[in-house]
Amino acid sequence: MIKFEHVGLRYGVGPEVLTDVNFKLEPGSFHFLSGPSGAGKTSLLSLLYLGRRPTRGLISMFGRDVGQLSRTELKDIRQNIGVVFQDFRLLNHMSAFDNIALPLRIMGHSEHEIQENVGELMEWVGLGDHTQMLPPTLSGGQQQRVAIARAVITRPRLLVADEPTGNLDDEAGLRLLTLFDQLNRMGTSVIIASHNMPLMEKFSQHRRLLLNNGKVDIVTPNIEIKQKLEGMF
Amino acid sequence: MFRLKKRESFLGVSVGKRQYDLPLNKDKGNNFLILLIALMSVMGVLALCGSFALSEMKTRWTSGLENKATIEIPAQDENGVLLSNAIIEDIAITVTDLLETQPNIENVERLSDGEIAALISPWLGDSDKALEQFPIPALITVHFAKGADSDLIAERIKNVAPTAILDRHESWLADVLEFTGTLKAVAIGVTFIVLFTTIVSVAGAVQSRMAVYHEELELLHIMGAADSYITRQIQRYMMGICLKGAVIGTFTGITMVLIGTWLAGSGESALIPRFTLSGVQWIILLLLPCFIGIIGMGTARHTTLRNLRQMA
Repeated sequence: MIKFEHVGLRYGVGPEVLTDVNFKLEPGSFHFLSGPSGAGKTSLLSLLYLGRRPTRGLISMFGRDVGQLSRTELKDIRQNIGVVFQDFRLLNHMSAFDNIALPLRIMGHSEHEIQENVGELMEWVGLGDHTQMLPPTLSGGQQQRVAIARAVITRPRLLVADEPTGNLDDEAGLRLLTLFDQLNRMGTSVIIASHNMPLMEKFSQHRRLLLNNGKVDIVTPNIEIKQKLEGMF
Repeated sequence: MFRLKKRESFLGVSVGKRQYDLPLNKDKGNNFLILLIALMSVMGVLALCGSFALSEMKTRWTSGLENKATIEIPAQDENGVLLSNAIIEDIAITVTDLLETQPNIENVERLSDGEIAALISPWLGDSDKALEQFPIPALITVHFAKGADSDLIAERIKNVAPTAILDRHESWLADVLEFTGTLKAVAIGVTFIVLFTTIVSVAGAVQSRMAVYHEELELLHIMGAADSYITRQIQRYMMGICLKGAVIGTFTGITMVLIGTWLAGSGESALIPRFTLSGVQWIILLLLPCFIGIIGMGTARHTTLRNLRQMA
């Protein structure tokens, strides 16, 4: 479903952040993305949610070569990807409800459907009483839940999250990853960039993408991951 | 929970949703742009009214002169010898008779003694004796029908009255046309400057807002928003700004014109007619805000699409 072949990325004339990334992710898979700080996790995620184009190599998503897509086709692919940003990137002039409803409005869903689905999801993520509040008036954890709800409201085929547990305590982090796990069981492919090793250990059944020196290794959990990580940090 | 179906939307924006995805309404530059558009609209109204007034003056100055000529029978012969009033009268009758037999002439009218006396009264006073004491030139007004060959008629007049002078007012008309034409060109130039300034202002405003909200635009793209979806919102917003500014400016401009006309005096002279707007001219002025709104919308659309295409 997602294939990276010899993908490289550089910003301007600077050095390559990603040098030769190769991996293939099956539909419905769940991966953690780990690596030392500055390894390029956010850059790799930006390629995954089509926020950037690679400087070289080939990226294929949902069976389509991304480099060959027109702007209209690119838009259609993006509508199948949910993104949770590290800094949330909520629209501060919109209520929590409207932030979550935005992807649905972009896709042209009816107000009735939007009211029904957004209301239900807000209840589910514990923001039922905060529908009309603006993001700046919400706590960090609440903002994060709005960002997550916005990413999953369209039930995307791929969910990309950058440090989604960063602002949450252990219990909330665990609840969040359980939510992602449930989404994954419903068919959504999930890629989560995280530094939270103890939390990742609790979901050790999932494979990991280890990013180091601009390259990615896909490793199976438990012993192999520990060995790899010990070498990195 | 996620049972979603696509449904119809109006112009890409879901029905019932009128909020902008970008915080455009909170932009502090809005009032400045409205003021700028309003000022441009005032200038546009003044330029248009100036153009209307010039057209009115041109019509006033030239109406009746086209297809019209004045024939003067001078009070002296080819050698400069003064003629008696009786001889001038004979020549005038001959010329009048000739003209009445010519084709393509609608009317021949000779100025009466009274009219001539009125014309020369500033120099000779109101005394009736002046007309009797001095030889007075005769004046004949001729109305040509369409297609009349005035050169041929002038030649025939010369045959019977060699000293007669045929004045077709061409010189006067040419001067008037040149003068009003120049002023109208200036008015049109001002209108184009107003339009150009409006376009540049809107394009600049759109570009600056797109730079300010670059991250939000990027986010909308990442969420799968089409360029057209974003463009529609920005062009709708810009059209609103332009309409607001143009309505304020147009009504201010019209008020200024009406006050100016009132202050200039309620009287009407032969040279400068009293300025009034016709029904068509009112419609043109009242449509100005719509026109500026459409110009603003088109400019915003073009600028937004061009900038969005440069994004990933």
